[in-house]
Amino acid sequence: MKASKSLLLFFIPGLALYAVFFLYPTISAIFYSFTDWDGLSEAFQFVGTSNYERAFTGDTVFRKTIGNNLKFMLAVVVFQTVIALAFALILVKNTKTTVFLRALYFFPTILSSVSVAFIWSFIYDPSLGILNQLLGLAGLDFLQQNWLGNANIAIFSLAATQVWFHAGQMLIIFVAGLQAIPKELYEVAEIEGASKWQTFRKVTWPLLAPSATIVIAYTTIQSFKAFDLVFAMTGGGPNRSTEIIATYIFDVAFSNYQFGYASAISVIFMALIALITFIQFKALRSDRISY
Amino acid sequence: MSMWKKPFFSFLFVLVLVLAGCAGESPDGDGASEDGTTISFIHWRGEDKAVFDDLIAQFEDEFPEINVEMNIYPSEQYQATGQRMLTDGSTGDVFTSFPGAQFEAIAGAGFFEDLTGEEFVSNFDEGLISVGEKDGKQLALPYQLVFNMPVYNKGMFDELGLEVPKSWTEFQEMGDTLLENGITPIAFPGADIGPNQFMNSMMMNNAPDEDVFVKLQSGEESLTNEWWVKTLEDFQLLEEKGYIQPDSLGTSQDSAMAMVANEEAAMLATGSYHMASLLDLNPDLQLDLLAPITVEESEAQYEGINTATFMLAINSNSEKKEQAKEFVAFLSRPEVASQYANETGQHLTVNGVEYESDVLQNTAYWIDERTTRFQPRFLITNAQIEAAVLSSIENVLGGGDPMEAAEEAQQLVEENRK
Repeated sequence: MKASKSLLLFFIPGLALYAVFFLYPTISAIFYSFTDWDGLSEAFQFVGTSNYERAFTGDTVFRKTIGNNLKFMLAVVVFQTVIALAFALILVKNTKTTVFLRALYFFPTILSSVSVAFIWSFIYDPSLGILNQLLGLAGLDFLQQNWLGNANIAIFSLAATQVWFHAGQMLIIFVAGLQAIPKELYEVAEIEGASKWQTFRKVTWPLLAPSATIVIAYTTIQSFKAFDLVFAMTGGGPNRSTEIIATYIFDVAFSNYQFGYASAISVIFMALIALITFIQFKALRSDRISY
Repeated sequence: MSMWKKPFFSFLFVLVLVLAGCAGESPDGDGASEDGTTISFIHWRGEDKAVFDDLIAQFEDEFPEINVEMNIYPSEQYQATGQRMLTDGSTGDVFTSFPGAQFEAIAGAGFFEDLTGEEFVSNFDEGLISVGEKDGKQLALPYQLVFNMPVYNKGMFDELGLEVPKSWTEFQEMGDTLLENGITPIAFPGADIGPNQFMNSMMMNNAPDEDVFVKLQSGEESLTNEWWVKTLEDFQLLEEKGYIQPDSLGTSQDSAMAMVANEEAAMLATGSYHMASLLDLNPDLQLDLLAPITVEESEAQYEGINTATFMLAINSNSEKKEQAKEFVAFLSRPEVASQYANETGQHLTVNGVEYESDVLQNTAYWIDERTTRFQPRFLITNAQIEAAVLSSIENVLGGGDPMEAAEEAQQLVEENRK
């Protein structure tokens, strides 16, 4: 009994790391969100809830960033999930070709985000970029765009880059989920004369639900917290059309030296992510079926 | 050994391993190395590493009791972390600051050592270092002098018989002539630094009052007033007449530089700091500086924009201030500054610098012979207000109406005014 109690001591390093790198920053952010701290001075004053009032009622840019975040998140979640699932269905069997292709599609995930930003900034360049040049060569001039310079489409161009960057990672999760589905169920479906769509709808999708839950939840959080690609590719422009909450927090904290206000936005941001994730888990859990 | 002791010592062993893993090299408590005192020098100019390495080696030869440890951060990271490191005085005995919002924030936090009265301050051009002053104290010493105004292809202008325009009418005539010859008048890197650089020369004569942004922040001025709406209308005209390239908001500075280097465009709407890079891309270019005069000749008060930046400072929390001052004094010597200027292709604020390259020599007349004004953007000390101002330019270049863009931006100014 004593030995098992002393084994609890092994939790301490992990708990210490958790406390230092998660708990302490979180509590600090909540604490500073009620202050006017500039991030540099030792002195600060408590300002009550005024930072939160400012965020909800007096900050047009913050409201715009929430809209931009939602656009970005929806585009990424829908396209990344659909593309990853489609490719997983095609590449589910273990052959030399499919294993190679899975590795190939996974490859962007291991690149640094700054490298990805650099590559895609070049691809999107309106005059020198490969994308517009390829469209021109294909006779699709009417599709050529100012991908990152047009305020109406820039956020979706960034979303496309994010999908390219992370779809391979989600593909692997889907492949693992698909390979875990018992083959007998497909044999039964075939004997019963189910069409491919019926097989997918009644066998594959329900049994893939745990993987789909992970993919959608992870993609949602990942896309909502996106920072590096956006920061490196557009810096929030043009005209704040790609400014998202994370880049705005950085801007407020490190360019405007309003750490107190940036902390308040961070707390709201954290609550938003928690809320969206909670709703998603509730919705996706209700879809789960086991045979 | 009891049952209790075994796991306890195992745990202790794991903890020691974890802590050992977490521990890095601990800095010397007093900053002294075997050879003397080590001072930390932090800045953001990675492109200057080679020349600083050489200058530091020279400094250490002359002052063998002082070592300089240089750390360079990307400018964004420098903004984010560099200043935080100043707080305990262990890093950044000598550091650098941008003018404007960063200078104000560091001054507000009290991290600048007052350099007023130090002998080496007199090595700098008095008229160019006022941006490092606050409340009558010399807190920082701007080292570099850049001209944030378009660089133009002088050779191309000579070939086409074009004169440097002295009024907005002449500027448009120049633009028309260039277009007739199949040349884009201005390469504008709207995806990155274009708006924040070109706005300065575009507004300098529309709002000759140098305190206009100070007044904007205090509520005495508005972006919906004529000076800014006209500036936005002028940007709109440049876009509509094709004086700047199509899709300019998606053009990066590298692409814009390539346009000028390939002689597809006549001007690069950034600043003097790009002249050396342009010459690297095309050594045959003959370059000079040209700011758009957006009013009639008789109304023009300024011919260009200057910025004294890369401000050298000493950390007030440092325990090695005297050694840090020796290093700043060393950098301010004319012969040392000359080496830095010539190897980095920059004009400096230090007196007696001898410029060797053609491009520095040919543009040095802008320091003494031309009427330039300090970069207005750096007088906006609130970064959110600065962002609102710049967004209004992007709004107009994206097809927005100048007055509506000004109104939207003014609303953001109101929200962010302290």
